[in-house]
Amino acid sequence: MRKIVAAIISITVFVILTYFFITSSAPINYTTGGQYINPITHEHSNQSVPQQYLKDSKKDTGASNVVTAIVVEYRGFDTLGEVTVLFTAATGIALLLDELKRRNVPHDEPNFIVKVGSIVVLPFIVVVGTYIFIHGHLTPGGGFPGGAVIASGFLLLLLVHTNRGLPERKLSVTESIAGMTYALIGLLGLVFAHEFLENYLPLGTFTYLFSAGIIPLIYIAIGFKVGSELGGILHNLKGVHEE
Amino acid sequence: MVSIPPVLLIAFPLFFAFLAPLINMVSKKAVKPYTLFVLLLNSLFAILLFLEVQSNSVVYEQLSGFYPPIGILLSVGYIGAILAVVINVLAMVVYISYFGDVENSVKFSMIYMLVTASSTGIVITGDLFNMFVFFEITAVGSYGLVASMRTKKAFEGAFKYIVLGSVGSSFILLGIATIYGYLKTLNFYDIAARINTMPETARLMAFIFLLIGIGVEAEIFPLNGWVPDAYEGSSNRVASFLSLGPSKAGIYAIIRLLFTLVPIMSGFTLALILGIFTLVIGELAALKQKDVKRMLAYSSIGQMGLILIAISMHSKFAFIAAVFLMVSHALAKSLLFLGTRNYDAGTLKNPWIAGPIFIGVLSIIGMPPFPGFWGKWYLMLNLAAEGLWSIILIVVFAAVVEGVYYARFLFKGTGSDARSITKSEVAAIFLLAIMLVLIGIFPQYLYTPAVKAAASLLGGGP
Repeated sequence: MRKIVAAIISITVFVILTYFFITSSAPINYTTGGQYINPITHEHSNQSVPQQYLKDSKKDTGASNVVTAIVVEYRGFDTLGEVTVLFTAATGIALLLDELKRRNVPHDEPNFIVKVGSIVVLPFIVVVGTYIFIHGHLTPGGGFPGGAVIASGFLLLLLVHTNRGLPERKLSVTESIAGMTYALIGLLGLVFAHEFLENYLPLGTFTYLFSAGIIPLIYIAIGFKVGSELGGILHNLKGVHEE
Repeated sequence: MVSIPPVLLIAFPLFFAFLAPLINMVSKKAVKPYTLFVLLLNSLFAILLFLEVQSNSVVYEQLSGFYPPIGILLSVGYIGAILAVVINVLAMVVYISYFGDVENSVKFSMIYMLVTASSTGIVITGDLFNMFVFFEITAVGSYGLVASMRTKKAFEGAFKYIVLGSVGSSFILLGIATIYGYLKTLNFYDIAARINTMPETARLMAFIFLLIGIGVEAEIFPLNGWVPDAYEGSSNRVASFLSLGPSKAGIYAIIRLLFTLVPIMSGFTLALILGIFTLVIGELAALKQKDVKRMLAYSSIGQMGLILIAISMHSKFAFIAAVFLMVSHALAKSLLFLGTRNYDAGTLKNPWIAGPIFIGVLSIIGMPPFPGFWGKWYLMLNLAAEGLWSIILIVVFAAVVEGVYYARFLFKGTGSDARSITKSEVAAIFLLAIMLVLIGIFPQYLYTPAVKAAASLLGGGP
């Protein structure tokens, strides 16, 4: 009975939502739907917010990747929050799994190909991950995917060395320092410019590695942070303790 | 006078939470004083911010160097400033109770700081997506705090909270996407200025999506299945913290949604109906409970319903009532949750615990001269003035039910697992009781800002 009720409710919700999204004449074009109003000065603009992002991001931020410009500059405070969400989740996992006693499950020795292959592949994984987060302001990618790629290298290590963990203490120190760097870069904006997370470094030459002010610095911090956090989560889930 | 950028209320605790593991490596003993220092600093900032709001009536701060809505705007009005002070000061007072405890985990303290910062973030932000991000931090941190006891009940409560919380988060995101799809903006006041250009159905859909998502955190009736289990499973201090931080942030988001984002009359009517259901069901369920923590949790739900009724009246006096009820609930519930573990028939004779608990109960059931009384008094006056006798009957009925089970709680003492109370817990309970008494005797210091908050919100401002 409960299953039938649940099915009826979810189907009804699905039908209502589909009906709504089909019939509503949602403006798909980014130019329509809004000449915004500045809530402080009450000035009306003659374009929408996404239009302005596309038009001005080069001049405002110096980043050739518009997505990065939006994520790290225009809405940088949200990104600090997202980094903190991941940090909170990793801390929570560590809090719950830290001192739980585990049974000693006998591990199979990994495949010979995996063992040898990991030695060959691992350096490339780390290099690709680093490349992705260092070039976040120029090419697709950035701190989050770059860090995740590096963490996949950690996963490979954990799979190959079945009865060993990762150096938890070092990961924790890296995570802390990277997080503090991000917050500090933001706070220095209050000192050297006027606002939190405002850019205070020269924008440099467009499309060059040394450009876009604080964006590469923030993405490097995020890359280290995400890599060490995801590594810590994997280590905690494996449950082998080693300093 | 010192002018504090509101962003420091969020950025400093984040920075210090990132630093905490390093402090822990240097000295494990330093973690608790360090956390208390961070919370103290934050309370100080919150009070300075409140004073600044009192002289300027609203504080704006744009971030990243772009004017809104291109960049993110923090906007603190009266209601935000009041709640920022409540959340930060009370979080600090509740943290005092951790001193002298054997259990000492740096990770717990880090999550505590992060949840305090993100709850504060919800009440001072002026941007819809920014609010969503802070909701995420609050929710993820709260899951960890609830489960931190690592008992069966704790995991059950945390799991229910995770399921409902993630569904709620996706609904908030859907609501934000609907609004952004039409208006191409995320700033509260830009949305408020142009919400009428959205088609009727889309506006209603966005409203309902956001209400469902926020309702999980604000403990509104059909979405609060996690509340009793989560409060029962978590330790007393965590329950105390949850009832002062995240739930207040949730109510603030409801206020923002109703008054600023989608100010339609049918929205207020819907909120009123949900509030009545939440109140009646919460109080009746509390009456049946045998376990003290579950009873307090259901009583919390009932209080949330009452606050929601007061908000949805859309009038000045009722909103003042809502502010008093929120402050009363934050103070008294965190006091009761802190005290109950030690409260059974034996400790009734211990005046150090029984006295503050008695004060807390009196404030919740609305006895003068405590803030709960002022809240219910203003609400009744407003309801009578508008001639809504049926709602008055419901509220009085709920108050009677509340009186019955709190009287049973006081005289029979259904509490279990008594243990020796630490001095720090007594100190925290006493501080909370003193604040209750002070606000009850001098209500004008809360009344004046509450009037201005009501005037500003009813005028469509922050």
